[in-house]
Amino acid sequence: MVYTRKDVGDLSKAERRRFINAVLELKRSGEYDEFVRVHIDYYVADGEDRLRLAHMAPSFLPWHRKFLLEFERALRAIDSSVTVPYWDWTRDRTADSTLWRDDFMGGTGRRGDRRVMSGPFAHAEGRWRVRYAMTDGDFLTRNLGRPDDPLSLPTRRQVDRVMRQTVYDVAPWNSTSRSGFRNRLEGWGAGEGDDRFLIHNRVHRWVGGHMLGGASVNDPVFWLNHSYVDLLWSRWQRHHPRAGYLPSTPPPPGDPQHERVAAREQPMGPWGVTPAQMLSHARIYRYR
Amino acid sequence: MTASRRVIMRSLLTLPATFTAACTAAPHDSASGGAFAEVYRGRWIQGIAQAQGPPRLFIDHRPLHLMRCADGGYVTPLDHYQSSPTPLEAARTAVDALGTAQLSRWAAVHGGGGERGAHGVHA
Repeated sequence: MVYTRKDVGDLSKAERRRFINAVLELKRSGEYDEFVRVHIDYYVADGEDRLRLAHMAPSFLPWHRKFLLEFERALRAIDSSVTVPYWDWTRDRTADSTLWRDDFMGGTGRRGDRRVMSGPFAHAEGRWRVRYAMTDGDFLTRNLGRPDDPLSLPTRRQVDRVMRQTVYDVAPWNSTSRSGFRNRLEGWGAGEGDDRFLIHNRVHRWVGGHMLGGASVNDPVFWLNHSYVDLLWSRWQRHHPRAGYLPSTPPPPGDPQHERVAAREQPMGPWGVTPAQMLSHARIYRYR
Repeated sequence: MTASRRVIMRSLLTLPATFTAACTAAPHDSASGGAFAEVYRGRWIQGIAQAQGPPRLFIDHRPLHLMRCADGGYVTPLDHYQSSPTPLEAARTAVDALGTAQLSRWAAVHGGGGERGAHGVHA
């Protein structure tokens, strides 16, 4: 049975509550923190001479599609009505959005330690103790919009430009790839200052706190951002039906990216699925 | 998730001994290996030269993993989106992201899974 992922703004009150309750239950059981650890463990920057799968690589999109599917499966084992909603940040652009209300994601962090003080993931609620993070606090942190030095979320026009890319990815298959849909959507810009952070990357930056680093999964908004990134990939695939995943074959010995990226038929840890197996979600879920 | 948990546990068990050694770190030598030491926004940041490669980073004597980017810069697990031109700049960027917090032990090493990823134990 194909299920539907919805815009967070279209969720009913009951749907919002059921999503949050399922996330809290996953946290209580300890399973949520395993997702945090997988993401920490799979961060490899592209100047390192080893395999990278999750970021700065062609498999950024299929790796995160599988990651979301695993998360969604765990949620649906708790409540079969739940799916991972998406945050269209080209429309929900401010910290006043319903997304950040106390019955859903909660609000920004306070000054100083950036501790989230409201909503289900506030430390004082007692149900969201951060276990694996790069800092020693056990509370969730955010700095929505970075008020001391404001930056804006990506715009529709910026997304439209990304959607016009005609090939999936190009050599050298990393954050310096000068064209291609994947690197543009991941958002590694060549500019200065905040211009360096585009699309997906910029959303992490806009949320701030835990979302800036390796332990970004501690903030449940991580999933909502990646659900929208996945929607954009899905839409791009539909608009460019002949543009398949690249590289189609592994970079050969002698190529600087040899054994450092996953080609179409190569397995991606920790699950062992290939990018080719992740290209269609039509039999599992759809976007509305 | 069982296989991944096993892999992660292995990688976490190899947390570097420098986590304890950091407190007795040798005096820095600013003339070699990119070593540095300074107070930045009230934090003691230090880069200790290694035999090869970039220096090892410490913030208030706690180790901070440093990774190289293809653009020639560096990132730390505190801020994955800012590639800094030097290890010193990467340490400062990490302090900016830290706020008032201290580094946890997980910041000393991360990204272990990918090392064994697609062609190794995960396959």
